Amino acid sequence: MDTPQYNTDIVRSFILWSVIWGLVAVLVGVIVSVQMTNPELNFPPYFTFGRLRPIHTNAGIYGWAVGVIFATFYYIVQRLCKIRIWSDKLATFQLWFFNATIIAAAVSLLLGYTTSKEYHELEWPVDIMVVVLWVAFSINIIMTIIKRKEEQMYISLWYMMAAIIGVAILYLVNAAAIPVSLFKSYSLYAGTNDANVQWWFGHNAVAMVLTAPPLAMFYYFLPKSTGVPIYSHKISIISFWSLIFMYLWTGAHHLLWTPVPDWIQTLAMAFSLMLIAPSWGSVINGYLSMKGQWHQMRDNYLVKFLIIGITFYGLQTLQGPMQAIRSFSAFIHYTDWVPAHIHMGTMGWVSMIAFASIYFLVPRIYNKELYSVPLANLHFWLILTGQLIWSISLWIAGVLQAGMWNAINPDGSLTYTFMETMVEMYPYWWARTIGGVIFLTGVLVFIYNLVKTIRSGEKLAPSAVTAEGRA
Amino acid sequence: MMDLGSLLYLGVTFGLFAIFAWIVIKTYSRKNRDKNEVAKYRMLNDD
Ligand code: HEM
Ligand code: HEM
Repeated sequence: MDTPQYNTDIVRSFILWSVIWGLVAVLVGVIVSVQMTNPELNFPPYFTFGRLRPIHTNAGIYGWAVGVIFATFYYIVQRLCKIRIWSDKLATFQLWFFNATIIAAAVSLLLGYTTSKEYHELEWPVDIMVVVLWVAFSINIIMTIIKRKEEQMYISLWYMMAAIIGVAILYLVNAAAIPVSLFKSYSLYAGTNDANVQWWFGHNAVAMVLTAPPLAMFYYFLPKSTGVPIYSHKISIISFWSLIFMYLWTGAHHLLWTPVPDWIQTLAMAFSLMLIAPSWGSVINGYLSMKGQWHQMRDNYLVKFLIIGITFYGLQTLQGPMQAIRSFSAFIHYTDWVPAHIHMGTMGWVSMIAFASIYFLVPRIYNKELYSVPLANLHFWLILTGQLIWSISLWIAGVLQAGMWNAINPDGSLTYTFMETMVEMYPYWWARTIGGVIFLTGVLVFIYNLVKTIRSGEKLAPSAVTAEGRA
Repeated sequence: MMDLGSLLYLGVTFGLFAIFAWIVIKTYSRKNRDKNEVAKYRMLNDD
């Protein structure tokens, strides 16, 4: 059989840029964390928590996570379709337009231009750039899938298509706005409708950026790393469709106890609980795929990242539905519990899978052996420890905060002032910074390992890299 | 009382559920039982 000539240059470039934006995200994460314990480190107007926080979230989601999505999707789609990507030129255009968009986003946020919609802060000119970027990417991936030489579509392709179509719909609907000047626009929706559309976007962005693509990567790189197929393709297909149908209705779980109609809130709550099934469908499929292979958790560092990653996904998708229950939400909403939930997802699930994918790809596309497996293991333990410290300390902080907010004296007055509750948070915010620095150290070890791998002299024959991952 | 918009919302929900039920039946039908597992073996061999 002739081997198709795949475009690996584009995969290399996207890996490089996603890692750069990932480092920026984590660095700024540590800075905003320090700004919470040391408010004197806010330097108005640019270097304040208010301006840096959206840079952190945008760099994390759109620079790091989406950058890895571009890299891995270009790699996976060519192999699962057994053809080269549809257009090399479009992919190269998309690479540079991606970087231009991320830079435009960072600069405009630093200058204070924002729509104030979370995860959709970018003002309309940058919004248009995002749309052009996504359309270029979508056309390339969809055309490659249409022209594929494999009849059946492996599950990763389904998740990839959902992400592509889903993001396009969500982004366009939530972006609808009337520009009043070059850098200011007003949402087309008003009041509770605006809030409802925003969180329909917000939570489905979690689904289409932070859930579906990492699942596509997990389903591809787990069997590739262990050498055995996934347990059940049918279960993966059913989990996929149920996930897609259910996610759409859950956005209003961000708006419990608000003026959004009660029945929409109840629907969101019910569908969030139902989401446990498709989410755990993938988790269980992942675990069952390890039957007879559990020893690889010890001696294959890729498997370690992937299985701990899917475990965090499992925990995340149990905690999320719990938070969507009205009574539980009344307790934890607005507290530090929520950022802890988010970072278990972003640092534990999304980043673990992204790191594994990059470790899998770099030796293959450069035809070189990974510079150091012990360093990869060190990286694993650093990010795991950092993330656990981050999340556990903020879960405790969230419960403490909620308890203090809800404490009432016999005469009905509040027991604690808001300031008193803030002061109690300091030790936990310090712990978060320590967790963040440990995580950042892990990322630096990862980058060092990649650079040494790429710079190392000896090229290997392609077949020699197939069993990489083994310690 | 639910207004027309709410009823429509619910209608779309049930419509989607029907499509989902159809996908489940199709995936697990006797005809497709083996066909649906082919991709997981073929993907191991795509370099
Ligand atoms: C079954 C799946 C999930 C459900 C039902 C769920 C539920 C929730 C709920 C109810 C909230 C709002 C908490 C509050 O403000 O009171 C929330 C916030 C959030 N979740 Fe999840 N979650 C799920 C999975 C995930 C996953 C896999 C991620 C990936 C990283 C994630 C990321 C987020 C983010 C980023 C927010 C913050 C939104 C904001 O800024 O307010 N969630 N989730
Ligand atoms: C060393 C690692 C990290 C540190 C120290 C860090 C720190 C922070 C801090 C301090 C906040 C503000 C929380 C608040 O407003 O109370 C935050 C928010 C956020 N971060 Fe990170 N972060 C890290 C990694 C990441 C990564 C890798 C991602 C994405 C892939 C990410 C995504 C987010 C999101 C979505 C929010 C918004 C949370 C919310 O709405 O409550 N973070 N982060």
